[in-house]
Amino acid sequence: MKRHLLLVLSLAILMPTMTVLIVAGIGISHQEWAMERVARSYVEDLAQNMAYKLDQEPPIWRRMFPYSMNLHGWGMSFLTSSVPGWVAIVSADGQLIYASAGAETLASIWNPGIPIGKAVEIKDSRGAKYTIAVIPSSQNQYFVVAAVEWEQLLGPMVKLSHLWLILIAIMVFASILALVPLFRWVIVPLKSLVDEIRYMQWGKDKPAKDDPIAVSEIRRLRKVLYDLSRAAIERDQLRDSYVSDIVNVQEQEKARIARDIHDGPLQVVTAFIQQVRLFRLSSSRGLAKSAEHLDMAEEAANTTVRELRELCDDLSPPWLELGLANALTEASERLSRHLGIKVTVDVQEGIDLPEEYILTMFRVFQEGVNNSFRHGKADWVSGKVSLEKDQVVFEIKDNGKGFEPDMDLQKLRLEGHRGLSNMKERLGLLNGSLEIESSYGEGTLLVCKMPYVISQ
Amino acid sequence: MEVKVLLADDHPLTRAGLKAYIETEESIKLVGEASDGDTAWNIIKKENPDVALLDIRMPGKDGVAVARMIKDAGLPVRVIMLTSYAAQQYVMASLRAGARGFILKTATPEELSRAILTVSRGGLYLDPEVAQAVGEKEFVPEDISAREREVLLLAAQGLSSKEVAKKLFISERTVQTHLASIYDKLGARNKTEALLLALKYGVVTLEELIE
Repeated sequence: MKRHLLLVLSLAILMPTMTVLIVAGIGISHQEWAMERVARSYVEDLAQNMAYKLDQEPPIWRRMFPYSMNLHGWGMSFLTSSVPGWVAIVSADGQLIYASAGAETLASIWNPGIPIGKAVEIKDSRGAKYTIAVIPSSQNQYFVVAAVEWEQLLGPMVKLSHLWLILIAIMVFASILALVPLFRWVIVPLKSLVDEIRYMQWGKDKPAKDDPIAVSEIRRLRKVLYDLSRAAIERDQLRDSYVSDIVNVQEQEKARIARDIHDGPLQVVTAFIQQVRLFRLSSSRGLAKSAEHLDMAEEAANTTVRELRELCDDLSPPWLELGLANALTEASERLSRHLGIKVTVDVQEGIDLPEEYILTMFRVFQEGVNNSFRHGKADWVSGKVSLEKDQVVFEIKDNGKGFEPDMDLQKLRLEGHRGLSNMKERLGLLNGSLEIESSYGEGTLLVCKMPYVISQ
Repeated sequence: MEVKVLLADDHPLTRAGLKAYIETEESIKLVGEASDGDTAWNIIKKENPDVALLDIRMPGKDGVAVARMIKDAGLPVRVIMLTSYAAQQYVMASLRAGARGFILKTATPEELSRAILTVSRGGLYLDPEVAQAVGEKEFVPEDISAREREVLLLAAQGLSSKEVAKKLFISERTVQTHLASIYDKLGARNKTEALLLALKYGVVTLEELIE
């Protein structure tokens, strides 16, 4: 039932209509038949009655009142205008002997095909229906013709049967009219929606936004599906842009590490080899400079060790396990030394966090100080970690030139400036937040907040 | 007569080492040192050295860019590329930019002197380590045919097999057959290697290759 609801609905409309149509058709045809019988027996009675009277009377009346129109004397006064129908008496040779009032109508409907002794229906030129009977009398010397118009005899019943026909036609027409919109506005739009959705690639395609022909429920359904699929597309695009971003960052990091190794240790080791060779060359020639080359080789080797250590520390800072205060202090000293600016950090006594949090704070500090130096041209950066209720607050302040902080992070990210959005995302992973307070000429204050998680 | 040399390298330690190398060779005189491409270009214009030793990677203009500027300006300065990378593609890029030599920073003082002197006399010098990467030293290549030579030179100009085929009115398949035959004869594994080996064995000259 549920599965074929639309079919059932269509049948529910069509079946009663058809039943009414058939039953009414049978009823009307029966009524027509009954009316026919009534009209026939009426005219036959009328004619036979007259014929009987003619048989009874001596034919003398003809001589006494030739062509007389007055037959009242023979008890024919019943044929007045109060009785419907007309009667005429015609002789065998075709002469009209008698006609009741209004019987000229008979002449207009007369046709030679009318059988004798049996009532039949005929129509006149206007379409009005008549029943007519021709009965012989006095051994076929005369013929009595009797006729009645249906309208006259059965007026209301004829009208009623016409009305019925019209009503049923209207009903059938209305049912079909109801089925057409059901098909056009419901079935076809639903089917096309289903087809669209079935072959849709989720996250890539979306159905058409609107179907103006469909009923409002289907239009709303389509709108909902459209919104859902659009959201899926946006989600996929976002995911793709994140993935490509991550891949880019990875590649950039690899390139940076390669560059650091190339420009640092690789060059210094090359210099080391050069100095060893120069030492060998000059000592074989007994030159005093040979000791100098040895010193330079040693210095190069030391530099290599230092640079490699820096590189390792930078890739994965080993001092994070020393706790928050030590880690940030180490970072500030390194940044200060590396960038040649003043970097300080102050951590409230007693705060310690799991290593994951310390790493995030370390990276945020590193990024913040680098930004202050590179973009803000600051020569002083100070960090402060404190507890506020159940939150750890990390503030990084500089004396740089500041910037307009309501910049679109997404836009910056797409342009390759990931610093701030990276900070924000890393803090977000720890349920933290990042706020930036800055304006031109006022320096910058970064406020990072995250829930205080006691270190295990 | 002394060969005048400019040394451009952005790393102070390696530059100091190379400088010391050069100073051990009496017939070579260092006329300038630069730590970036722009300084190198200024010194070249001023000192007009016989040979410029240019680091491929430098801040500002890199070595290849400076070599191209020298070539475009038509200066009689011969360029040797200095690098830490032994990639063959760098060698080709350097040669196309007009360099006549390619030497690694880990080269010995003797190798550096030989490179400078060879190039100053109009020769071509490829670092043995790079050359080694492209085949056995004592390898004697089979002669390549005139058609193969033509194909090799067009390929050296950076034309694809399809373009070479069009230019020589032969099929792409034939071009590839020629190239395979060239590789086989020179003992090369790819196009760049084939070009470098052809240069090394004197099958083609640098001038032919660059034109």
